[in-house]
Amino acid sequence: MDSGERKYKNKEITVYWKPSSCIHASACTNELPEVFNPDERPWVKIEGSNTSKIIEVVDKCPVDALTWKWNDESKNKEVGREHPNHIKNRRKSLLEKDNLDTKLDTAIDIMDDGPFVVNGGFLLERENGSRSKFSGTVSLCRCGASKLKPFCDGSHRSINFKSK
Amino acid sequence: MEGKKNIPVITIIKDGPLKVSGDFTLLKENRFPVESGSEVWLCRCGKSSRKPFCDGSHKK
Repeated sequence: MDSGERKYKNKEITVYWKPSSCIHASACTNELPEVFNPDERPWVKIEGSNTSKIIEVVDKCPVDALTWKWNDESKNKEVGREHPNHIKNRRKSLLEKDNLDTKLDTAIDIMDDGPFVVNGGFLLERENGSRSKFSGTVSLCRCGASKLKPFCDGSHRSINFKSK
Repeated sequence: MEGKKNIPVITIIKDGPLKVSGDFTLLKENRFPVESGSEVWLCRCGKSSRKPFCDGSHKK
């Protein structure tokens, strides 16, 4: 892992924190301050909530700053795209065994009432013409309300965005 | 890294949609391919009546 990275484990899952990726979308600190509190050290208190809630919130991180995996490796094989921040979808390099399906081409998932979720490598070209390379999973706003455009910040929920 | 495939480029149009070009698959509900590998314009204002595609509604 890169320097500065941390991992936090409970009995069921491991949560990875990659500070160099954080864009301060605040999805984690807003939704689950019992676990993600930047005013405390360590800022992640994995025992602050239950596993399913932690997974739900980690999956909302629009970049790969927060990712997770099951400690039981056999369960990781069953994880699909429904968990965008599982390491299989965002950070394949963290997998101990590379026998999972890693041959996915770049795919853009259209989330109902939510963002576009890009899985795989792509170039993001900004309004000023600059290009940056992304790989893993990135969520892009499609409701128009994000304060972090072009990234999703979860605002589709507060405006009750309906995509149909 | 992508073999012969062209890495997708997602272009953010100012006050407009996302333009996507290169090799990619656009999936609905994480499963069903909608489009593959062609150029598409995706709504990011939330107002299009033909989501996920742009219909120009952002200009209104």
